[in-house]
Amino acid sequence: MQTNSHRRGHSAEPPPIPGWGAGDGYAHTTITKAPQWHGGIAADALLNGLATGLFMAAAVSELALPAVFTSVAKVAYPMALVLLLVDLVMLVFDLGDPYRFHHMLRVFKPGSPMSVGVWCLAIFSLPLTAAAGLSLLAALGHDFEWARRIAVILALPFGFGSAAYKGVLLSTNSQPGWKDARWMGGYLTNSAILMGCAALLAVSAVMGQAQAVAILRTAVIALLIINVIPLGLLFANLQPTLARLFTRERRWRTGVLTFIAGTLIPLVLLLVGDGPVFVFAAVTSLLLGSLVIRFVYVMIPHTKPSESRAVSGT
Amino acid sequence: MGSREKELAALPQVVDPPPRGRLGAWIERLIYPFRRGKPPEPRPATGFFTDTTVCIGCKACEVACKQWNQLPSDGFHWTGKSYDNTEELSATSWRHVKFIEQFSRESAGQFPALDILPGEPQHNRWLMMSDVCKHCVAAPCHQACPTGAIIYNEFENVYIQADICNGCSCCVAACPFGVITRSSMGGHSHKCTLCYDRQRDGLEPACAKACPTQSIHFGPIDELRELARNRVEELHRRGMPGAYLYGDAATETYSELHSFYLLIDRPAVYGLPDKPFNQWLYMRGDYGRSIAGGLAAIAVLLVVLFLQRG
Repeated sequence: MQTNSHRRGHSAEPPPIPGWGAGDGYAHTTITKAPQWHGGIAADALLNGLATGLFMAAAVSELALPAVFTSVAKVAYPMALVLLLVDLVMLVFDLGDPYRFHHMLRVFKPGSPMSVGVWCLAIFSLPLTAAAGLSLLAALGHDFEWARRIAVILALPFGFGSAAYKGVLLSTNSQPGWKDARWMGGYLTNSAILMGCAALLAVSAVMGQAQAVAILRTAVIALLIINVIPLGLLFANLQPTLARLFTRERRWRTGVLTFIAGTLIPLVLLLVGDGPVFVFAAVTSLLLGSLVIRFVYVMIPHTKPSESRAVSGT
Repeated sequence: MGSREKELAALPQVVDPPPRGRLGAWIERLIYPFRRGKPPEPRPATGFFTDTTVCIGCKACEVACKQWNQLPSDGFHWTGKSYDNTEELSATSWRHVKFIEQFSRESAGQFPALDILPGEPQHNRWLMMSDVCKHCVAAPCHQACPTGAIIYNEFENVYIQADICNGCSCCVAACPFGVITRSSMGGHSHKCTLCYDRQRDGLEPACAKACPTQSIHFGPIDELRELARNRVEELHRRGMPGAYLYGDAATETYSELHSFYLLIDRPAVYGLPDKPFNQWLYMRGDYGRSIAGGLAAIAVLLVVLFLQRG
């Protein structure tokens, strides 16, 4: 705190006084508080997309072409359930008070994206569990095909809702960057189907389902190209915030590397070959790129301009 | 008022009997949040009007708030840049006195000049403001809360039910004023309750009672608005044309606040958003884009499936 007497006491070369220039008061401080959402939420966003996307890709493929995809889908549903359960556990432990998770089900508030998401996930988990259980039973020789189909159809809208809410949750708020990310939902939902198709392609490759691999390979290539559109729109939304937080060099480096890992490498690998090695490398690269995008996004409110510039050495 | 507080303190406290056994406690814990009590009868809306022009930065409001609400210490450290060592509102500081120093070119000597307001005579001044939850009429925190922990009580104040909140932090992300904070102790969100307990007992909030300059006014919101507008007119007459009210009326992008301010500089100078925006105005569009993104991907998948079928 400076006073007039303090200032008069200094000679021509005054030492820097902390806070001098505070005439703008709090104008340069970040007003909002960052929620305690960190890397776990980025992983949650990935797992949520992977679980719901895998289910939806399997369900749509099975319902459209049952002769080709039923055997693959019967493996995909239990996998989607496991991924969803891991995601739910992560969500619960991310709460300030995990023992109060069930409080989320006290009310249903359409105006709260989290409430919509929790209800979608809760309802989705029931037919998904049924579909997964019946798929496993079928493997043991007890096939209830009609019941499994009904469970899959019932799960579809809630699976879609579970994928669609996440981006809205991460954009309908007051956080710097997030509040401008109008295409976060569009990107995440689109990416969920892409990741789901890629995971289903990997399952098909392992199972040696040549026809399923051929179809899904084409689908993933097409989706990789399509996914660039919402990703580009999201990047355009975030551009002012990213420019404030990161140097041009760092933005380009991270952006290009993420694009190469998440889009270009999977695309080239899938165009080159359809063997399990190519497929696994492509899926791994896609998931890695997708995780980086989610991580950078989730960490925006926690990133201070000075820190990011210091890290980049400028 | 003081004697009334003593009188209330002497009344017997009602405590629910604890559930029997471990299983009973577990069941109680499960079903308790789903119980619904009878909502209290609505009362006239109350709020704060903070006249920053008479704030002297004594922090009596901060202390009274801490004392009444039994909020723990935040520790202590010098910020080294002003008398503001509280720094921000938090789960344990529900009042925060802000200090803004504005000094003119003449008095600054060889130091860089600070233009206070364009076109106004240069002068020295300290601006001080006791910040608190704004108790927004359409509060984003209330809209975001998935548990229903954040409610409007009978006084139309935004109130967090501490026994319901599960610490999801959606309210923290939603608040455009940076008010709500998740406590590292219990993991729940906390903020000003507008001294709900005191209001129910007919008392004014502790901060308003402690304020020695009547910078913090408490009362029915309509009366506060009238008082505030008269005060602005008075200041204009006395040669402060820059005085204005922040949050007393709704804008196109944000509702009115039940805790509003009289300011004499830009809102940002006080750490308030110049144009507060309720992000829920974007929610439908965001859902639309989210659904469109997913449907587009499913459509691509279906096209490929049907094209490759043959």
